[in-house]
Amino acid sequence: MLNRRQFLAAGLGGAGALLAGAGLADQVWPFLAREDLVPGKAPDARLRAGAWATTDERLTFAAIGDNGSGGRQAMAVAARMAETYESVPFGLVALLGDICYYGNFEDRFDDVFARPMRPLLDAGVGFELAIGNHDEDLRHSDEGMAEIEAELRLLGTPGLYYSTAHGPAQFFYLDSSAPGRLLAQGRSEQREWLDNALATSSSQWKIVVLHHPPYSSGKHGSTPGAKERLEPILARHHVDLVLAGHDHHYERTHPIDGITYVVSGGGCKTTPVRRSRLTAVSESTLQFILVDIAGDRLVGTCIRADGDVVDRFSLMAREGR
Amino acid sequence: MRRHLVDQLAPPVYAAVDFAAIMAPALYLKVTADRAGLGGSQGIDLIVASTVIGAAHAVLAWWRLRSEERLARRRADLWIAAVDSLVVLALGATLLLIAVLHGFADEHASLADRGYPVVALWVGIQLVAVTAAEATGWFVFWWLEPEEAGRVLDR
Repeated sequence: MLNRRQFLAAGLGGAGALLAGAGLADQVWPFLAREDLVPGKAPDARLRAGAWATTDERLTFAAIGDNGSGGRQAMAVAARMAETYESVPFGLVALLGDICYYGNFEDRFDDVFARPMRPLLDAGVGFELAIGNHDEDLRHSDEGMAEIEAELRLLGTPGLYYSTAHGPAQFFYLDSSAPGRLLAQGRSEQREWLDNALATSSSQWKIVVLHHPPYSSGKHGSTPGAKERLEPILARHHVDLVLAGHDHHYERTHPIDGITYVVSGGGCKTTPVRRSRLTAVSESTLQFILVDIAGDRLVGTCIRADGDVVDRFSLMAREGR
Repeated sequence: MRRHLVDQLAPPVYAAVDFAAIMAPALYLKVTADRAGLGGSQGIDLIVASTVIGAAHAVLAWWRLRSEERLARRRADLWIAAVDSLVVLALGATLLLIAVLHGFADEHASLADRGYPVVALWVGIQLVAVTAAEATGWFVFWWLEPEEAGRVLDR
């Protein structure tokens, strides 16, 4: 028979054991594995500035999503991007959102952006951002908007949604920081802008960039409303490629109404991904993508942090076909 | 005979579980990072550090159990204290890590970039968890058997 002290000590121990058993295995260790909390050393490669050649016919760019931890996994992907630049120089990086976790961007600018991307920044590579939901962690508040404004200002981004042209391609960056802003039935302003911008574009390649993926087989899945309200606009204007992040994996769909959808959200963390009937390739991995456009042909390559190639795909321009 | 076997086996089994609790975070991180394509030798330093701390603490825990086993008036007391200590170790080794890394991400990122080895931070956190676990084990045993606990310290 236990006395009062034994009962208390054993009870606390038993409860703790249950908590440790259930909590650690189910929540804590997966959290530790899912996040990128261990600090890492920033890449220190010295790259040749302006080594890329963008012409009316030619463009090479990289895209990376959800890379805002400043941890060792983010540094490893950034280092791989710098190494890739040495063999295949690119003049542009499309940031697919969530460029800052674990704090606000103004405080963490050096940790999550300036240090990991220093070799590319020193080489003169340009960065263009599609805002993500973690870039507005204090959503629907003044602090949330201040966070987004800090990102736009520090990265020199012209607005919440905007378009840029590089060589044969035009990029259309959308703001899905709160998906409702883009996809809610009553909020059509951004979709009208996209419709008009795509209609007036004369570029051979049309690439739409946003954070929330219209199609995904990962943790968050396809973004509700995208199929009904965004896809018809993209299809009507023969968009070639849609780049997104949000889910922390790589996935490429088979063309849907002629459009290839890519999720490239493995910039510093990974979450599991399945395959759906729309999936051409999917893998839960730390990665970025490199896209090379030459005339009417586009070749995309998904590169892992260790340098292995996960996927290589090619597209033919839809404009004029 | 059976009781004797249990007495012989229990301390090493306990020490092994103690070792595993210290190793788990480093192993978990290494396996998932490798699976995600991080590759290379990243994370090996953390595994080596955890192995050294885990092995040292396993020996200490084993010694503590054998000492208390000889002195305890009630065998239940030493096992209650041992389980409490293990729970604090298992929770501390991981939760403390998350709290420190997540709560001070800016500071660690900046230190790491200035060449401060991450392994030093890792060792510090694990030593705090080990110390908390040892303190818990001793305190609970002392609380349950005040006189005998004092004799263990005297040995």
